[in-house]
Amino acid sequence: MTEDSTTPRVANRRLFLRGALSAGVAGVATGAAAGAGIAAALDGSARPAAAAVDDAVPFHGAHQAGIATPSQRNVAVVSFDVLAADRGELTDLMRALTDRARFLTSGGTPPDPGISAPPTDSGILGPSLPSDRLSVTVGVGASLFDDRYGLASRKPAGLTSMQTFPNDHLDPAQCHGDVSLQLCAENPDTVLHALRDIARHTRGAMQIRWQIDGFKSPPRPSGTPRNLMGFKDGTSNLHGDDTKTMDQLVWTGGEAGWAAGGSYQVIRKIRMLVEFWDRVSISEQENMFGRRRDSGAPLDGNDEHDTPNFAVDPVGTAIPLTSHIRRANPRTPDTQDSRILRRPYNYNLGIDSVGNVDCGLVFICYQRDVAKQFEAVQKRLADEPLVDYIQPVGGGYFLVLPGVRDTNDHFARALLA
Amino acid sequence: MAASAPIRAAGWALLAVACAGLVSCTGKSSSPDDPVAIQVNTGTCGPKWSAHGGERTLQIKNAGTVTTEVDLIAPDTGGVYAEVEALAPNTTRSMRLTLGRGTYALRCYAEDTDGVTGPVVTVSDGPVHGAAAVKPVDNQTLLASVKDYRTRVTAGLGQLATDVDTLRQALRGGDLATSRAAWLTAHLGYERLGAAYDTFDDFADKIDGMPDGLPGGAHDPDFTGLRRIEYGLWHGEPLGSLATVADQLATDVAGLIKAFPQQQVDPNDLPLRAHEIMENALQFELTGEADQGSHTGMATIDANLTGTQMVLDTITPVMKTRYADWDKVALWMSRTRTAVDSTRRPDGTWTPVSALDRAQREQLDGDIGQLLETLAPVAAIGDVRRTS
Ligand code: HEM
Repeated sequence: MTEDSTTPRVANRRLFLRGALSAGVAGVATGAAAGAGIAAALDGSARPAAAAVDDAVPFHGAHQAGIATPSQRNVAVVSFDVLAADRGELTDLMRALTDRARFLTSGGTPPDPGISAPPTDSGILGPSLPSDRLSVTVGVGASLFDDRYGLASRKPAGLTSMQTFPNDHLDPAQCHGDVSLQLCAENPDTVLHALRDIARHTRGAMQIRWQIDGFKSPPRPSGTPRNLMGFKDGTSNLHGDDTKTMDQLVWTGGEAGWAAGGSYQVIRKIRMLVEFWDRVSISEQENMFGRRRDSGAPLDGNDEHDTPNFAVDPVGTAIPLTSHIRRANPRTPDTQDSRILRRPYNYNLGIDSVGNVDCGLVFICYQRDVAKQFEAVQKRLADEPLVDYIQPVGGGYFLVLPGVRDTNDHFARALLA
Repeated sequence: MAASAPIRAAGWALLAVACAGLVSCTGKSSSPDDPVAIQVNTGTCGPKWSAHGGERTLQIKNAGTVTTEVDLIAPDTGGVYAEVEALAPNTTRSMRLTLGRGTYALRCYAEDTDGVTGPVVTVSDGPVHGAAAVKPVDNQTLLASVKDYRTRVTAGLGQLATDVDTLRQALRGGDLATSRAAWLTAHLGYERLGAAYDTFDDFADKIDGMPDGLPGGAHDPDFTGLRRIEYGLWHGEPLGSLATVADQLATDVAGLIKAFPQQQVDPNDLPLRAHEIMENALQFELTGEADQGSHTGMATIDANLTGTQMVLDTITPVMKTRYADWDKVALWMSRTRTAVDSTRRPDGTWTPVSALDRAQREQLDGDIGQLLETLAPVAAIGDVRRTS
């Protein structure tokens, strides 16, 4: 027997913690989590929030987890094509996804099938599953609403297929899909375990179209984690615990009909040309982002969380007009509504054909309206100086389904009813 | 560890613990996660034990001196809920399952000793239905299946010998198209026999071995048989030299036909074969790995499905009463067949696996993957177990 199968686990505690609370969280960590220590909840703000690794992220709720949830350390973003033969089988698929997500996120001991089957679990997390702050976030793509399942009339107007932007280098094999899964957990084995489990239970109903794994770096040395260009990424962001802004800018509302309580998900796999980047002078690098590389401070400030003041710098003397942060968020009254919740991860795939490191950013963002938010920001960023050093190569738009309310509910119930 | 200390009972036996866990022993109700510790010993398969219904862990300790298999059975039917195989003396292993209301007993099979059933235990609380018991397959159960299998393979081998003769003649005749067609017929005939892993012993490699693992690769002198001929036919080798390879092939097929009646068919093999044939098809054919130039991987997969069906037919009488999802096997066999057939072109040739479009590939991956998931329990259920 392992200790954790007899130890009551601390579940159902939402951990949107600020500052000093983190020590308290460590104090109530379960026995199983002790020693694993505290994982920084890298939620994109500089707040030293923390969550014990064995705390479960609640599965049931009005919204799915994995959006407002402080970022876990690892992610797999997986796009699937659905093979279900008809609407009934599509419903079975959604039920199966619900069952697996509910089980995997809460942790516990998988059933022993006796002599009737091979083991029900891969065993890579040991005999009893830690929740490891796993979240399973399920989205649907526009292609699911074609003529296969009679869903055409139910497609929300806002759900479109990802467009190609001027600086894109998209590989069709790594774009779009019927269903998206964002699997996040503190440890990579937990993420892979969840993917294997879900794939095993859904093989005949959906197949993986493309996948990208990502990781979140620890704070270096403090504050927001850095991306692979060396810059703190996520300093200025929406906050999952700011429910008012979340309702305004991230969760879909009544306009979405059956999809109310969901959120539009944009995934962009963006390659970074890091060798080229590393050959660029520091001042040029900093001017491209509009922030200092060491501290993350805006170029008109001293500390990471100083607010850039574009109004007093109309010609861009301190922060160039073409810089990433100024284009992305001009901080004017009419651009307030285009803000997005970013939840990015770094990726690294090894070496490419010319001996360069094939790494980059799994850019993931959430919003209520893709056209008014992500696309508006992306259009402002068109031809920014940074584009010479990055290449969007894949991704897609998805609609994250409304949350699963309780044990009787399942993903897409309102859609398929 | 929450298991409480065993209570000493009369004589050799150590009493199982009903009040598992320190909590329950102090009078409070036991949590479902407290294991039920049971010590088994040669002779009686443990003392009387008790457990609440629900998801439980039974911790079985072998307090005897002989390695023992321990099954948790339904005493009325002999069905098995869970097993611990080869429990060595002084070791503890657990069974985790949902105990529904009903009767249970442990059954011990010590090495070289008849099976012994322990006391019958009644679970009177918890869910009405728990884990399902499966009637075990013993070495008698599959005898008819093995006989059936032998008959079918024997017939298939006879046909193979004829097809290999046709291939030899075609190669000697010197016509490439005729030779290629004759090769495919012989190759598919062999693939339909559902050879996988150690079926046919050394003859398998001689008849259908791959160049992988041979130092000289495709030109290694030890690379012979159907795959060698395929390589030559699609790499511009003179047909005359391939005829020599085909002569050797004919000798090897004749050797197999002679040896097959004496070859052991382990009854375990049939339930294993049920998924292994298509595991191989997925691993070597759908990836294109086995292709020596003919690009006929899809035809091979089609033949492998037929081979799988042959095995399934032989074990149907055993499985349909034991495997609750047996009807799903037919469903996914048929879906897979449809997906495979859809890659056949109007002129009868097959789409090379490298030319499958994304939709075709996803359909094949999904159907074969689901078929394999559905077949995996067949091997577990069909694993030959002691019943006496
Ligand atoms: C590889 C590609 C990208 C890199 C390396 C990158 C990097 C950064 C960095 C270093 C910051 C400043 C720190 C912060 O406030 O988080 C930032 C801010 C931001 N980025 Fe990006 N980014 C990338 C792509 C994108 C894309 C595709 C979008 C949206 C279309 C985007 C939208 C934003 C926004 C909205 C901000 C916050 C601006 C603010 O509120 O001040 N970024 N990014």
